[in-house]
Amino acid sequence: MTSVAYHRCIAAACWLLLAPVAHAQEIPTYAPPPPMPADTQALPTIVLMSMGGTIASRGTPRLNITNYGGKGVPRVDPQDWVHDLPELAGIANLIIEDQRAPQDRTSSETHEDFARVAKRLNQLAADPRIAGIVVTHGTNTMAETAYYMNLTVNTDKPIVFVGSQRPWTGLSGDGPRNLYDAVRVAASPEARGKGVLHAMNQFINTARDVDKTSAYRINTFKGVDVGAIGFADPDRVRFYREPVRRHTTQSEFAGKDYSSLPPVEVAYAYRDAPGYLIDAMVAHGAKGIVVEGTGAGSATSSQTEAIKRAQASGVVVVMTARTDGGRVQDTPRRREALIVPGDNLKPEKARILLQLALTQSSDLANVTRIFNEY
Amino acid sequence: MIRSLLLSLTLLCAAPLASAQNAPPVALPKVKLFTTGGTIQSKGAHRQKLMEYSDGKVGPAELLADLPELKDIADVSYTEISNVGSPSVNTEIQLRLAKEINAWLALPDSAGAVVTHGTATLEETAFFLNLVVKSDKPVVVVGAMRPFTAVSRDGPFNLYNAVRTAASPTSRGMGVLIVLNDEINAARDTTKSNTYRMETFVARDLGPLGYADSDQIVYYRKPTYRHTTRSEFDVSTLTTLPRVDVTYDYQEQDGTAIDAFVAAGAKGLVLTGSNADAVKRAQAKGVLIVNSDRKGAGRVVESAKGASQNRISADNLPPQKARILLRLALTRTQDPKEIQRMFNEY
Repeated sequence: MTSVAYHRCIAAACWLLLAPVAHAQEIPTYAPPPPMPADTQALPTIVLMSMGGTIASRGTPRLNITNYGGKGVPRVDPQDWVHDLPELAGIANLIIEDQRAPQDRTSSETHEDFARVAKRLNQLAADPRIAGIVVTHGTNTMAETAYYMNLTVNTDKPIVFVGSQRPWTGLSGDGPRNLYDAVRVAASPEARGKGVLHAMNQFINTARDVDKTSAYRINTFKGVDVGAIGFADPDRVRFYREPVRRHTTQSEFAGKDYSSLPPVEVAYAYRDAPGYLIDAMVAHGAKGIVVEGTGAGSATSSQTEAIKRAQASGVVVVMTARTDGGRVQDTPRRREALIVPGDNLKPEKARILLQLALTQSSDLANVTRIFNEY
Repeated sequence: MIRSLLLSLTLLCAAPLASAQNAPPVALPKVKLFTTGGTIQSKGAHRQKLMEYSDGKVGPAELLADLPELKDIADVSYTEISNVGSPSVNTEIQLRLAKEINAWLALPDSAGAVVTHGTATLEETAFFLNLVVKSDKPVVVVGAMRPFTAVSRDGPFNLYNAVRTAASPTSRGMGVLIVLNDEINAARDTTKSNTYRMETFVARDLGPLGYADSDQIVYYRKPTYRHTTRSEFDVSTLTTLPRVDVTYDYQEQDGTAIDAFVAAGAKGLVLTGSNADAVKRAQAKGVLIVNSDRKGAGRVVESAKGASQNRISADNLPPQKARILLRLALTRTQDPKEIQRMFNEY
C-alpha cells in the first residue's frame, strides 16, 4: 500500500496540527496531561499502526456498543486517537501508519492484508529509530493476525496488538486506556524478545496463546491453558513470564514474504459430524485440514474415513481439540493414523502454522516438528 | 507419497519408543526424594476418609515401594527431612531442607530433587527454596489432596509426574516448581486456592508454566523474576531467620495485632491494610513494613505516598510469601529502599 498516511509526529507539533479536529472520544472530558518531558527526543519512537477494528469505530448514541460502524458512518482515523489522547505525546514520539482494509471489517481481511502488513512490520522494525510498534485490530480475528505476525516478523522489538470491546465513542469505552497502555508496553524495554504481544484490559498476553473468550465483555482476551505474561499496571509495566515456544527472531518463517499460502481448512467434530465436508475441502484443493476434535482430539467414524481418503491424496491432517484447554497428545494410535497432534493451539491458529509448514513440504515428520516447536 | 510420509513419521516416532524399551538402566537420571510429610504421606482409617486422616504415616521407603514405575524413569534415592503436616513445617525444617538439597544438587551426577510437602503451606516452602537453592537443576515440590489410603488418591500420579519433571532437562533454569494435577507451576506465583478439591494449585492471572502430559513434559512459559542461581540470598551459614509476622485487615481492625507482634520481637510486618497509627509505632521501633493485599491477585502498586512513609510494596506476592521474602531480605539489609528493590526483582 503506497497511499499510506505516514506522518512523523513529534509530540507538540502533532497536537497543534490536530487541535481543530472535533473530538471522536466523547468521554471522559479531556483534562490537561501531566507536564511534558523537557526533552521529547528522549522519548521512544513508537509506530501506531491502524488495522481498524472496534477501537476505530463510531456509534451513536453512546450507549450503542453492539451496532456501531457500518456503511456511511465515518471511521476513527489514527489522527483522531492522537487528538483524543494527547497524553500519548507524553510517553512516546508517534509515527502514524494506516493499514486499514478498505471495508474496515477484519472479518473481510484477506491473506493479502496479512502479507502486506507483515512486510511493512518487517520494514518498520528494521528502522533503528523505532523502538516498538502498536497495531490496532478488530477483536474477532486479532489473535490469528497477531499469531501470523509472531511467526513471520523478524524482530525482537515489541509489536503489541490492541483493540477494544466498545467503540471509540461508547460509554465507558475501553479503547483509550487500552491504546495508552499498548503504547506503554511497546515502549517498555522489558517487552523486547517476548514475541508479538497482545495488550488489552491491563493484561499482557502472548500472540500464540491469547484467545477471545467472550463476545462483548471487557475481560475477553485470555491465555488458553497458560495465563498472561505481564500487566500494564497504573505505576508500571511488569512482566512475570516469557514464552518458550519459537517466535519472531527464532522463527524459521520470519522475514520471508509469503504472498500466498497453501489452502488449509478447518473441520469441526461433533456427534454425527459427516465426512463429506472434509471430502469437499479436498475437492476444492485443500492441502491441509485441521480437525477440531472432541475431547482429547477425536473425530466421528465418518470423518475418520474421510480423513483417510484425504491423506491418500496427499493432504496433511492436524488434530486440535475443542476443549479450550489441554494438549492433543502424541499417542501411538494417532501416529498410526498419520495425524499430526496440534498441541494446544486453537484450530484457527493451527491452520496458520500448518499453512506456513506446508510452504516447506508435506513431510509429516517436519510438520510434527514444527507443531512441537512453535 | 503416503509411503514416504509413513516412513518419515515412523522414523520420527520410533526412536524414542525403542530407546525407552531397551535403554540400559545405568543411563537413568539420579533424582533424590526429600520427604517432609503431609497428606501424600498420611493414612486414613478407611479408604473413603478424605479429612482428619491421622491414622498413620508413610515413610519415604514405603512411598517409593508403592510406585515401582519410577524405576523405569529415574534412579530415585531419598532423604527423610521430617514427617509432619505442613502447618508444622518451621524455619528449622526449611533451612535443613535447603541445605540438604543444595548439597545434593552440587554433586556432578545428580539430576534433580523432589520434595514432598503438606499442601497447606507448600507454596511457602517452595518459594523459600526458589530463593535459596543454588542450582539450575530442577527442584519439584509435590503433595496430594487425598491421603495415601484413599480411593482415587492423587498422590501416586502426582509423585510420578514430579519425578518425571525433575528428571527432565527441559525443567532446568525454571526455578523451583510445584507439580500436582498434571500442572507444572512456578513456586513464586502459585497458591493453594481450594481447601479439598484437586485443581487447587493455581497461579492466578499467570497460569502454569507447562504440563506433565503422558507423552511429554511440555513448557510454554519461563518465569522472569530472579530465582535460584540468580538469587542473592544465601542460607548456608544461617541457623534461624528474622521474625516476621502477618496481620490481616478488615473493618475496624484497630492495630492491636501490630502492637502485639512488635512486642513479641517482630523485625518486620506484612500488612494487608493501613493502620496508620500502629504502623508509625512499629516503624519507630525499627520494624520494616511491607504492604501486601488480601484479594489474591493483582499488584500492590508503588506510590509516592507509600514510599514517603517507608512502606514497601509486595508486588503481587500474597502475605505469606511476602513474609518469606522479607525474612530473607532482613538477613541482608534494613534499608526500605533496598528491600523495595528486592520485592521488585524476586
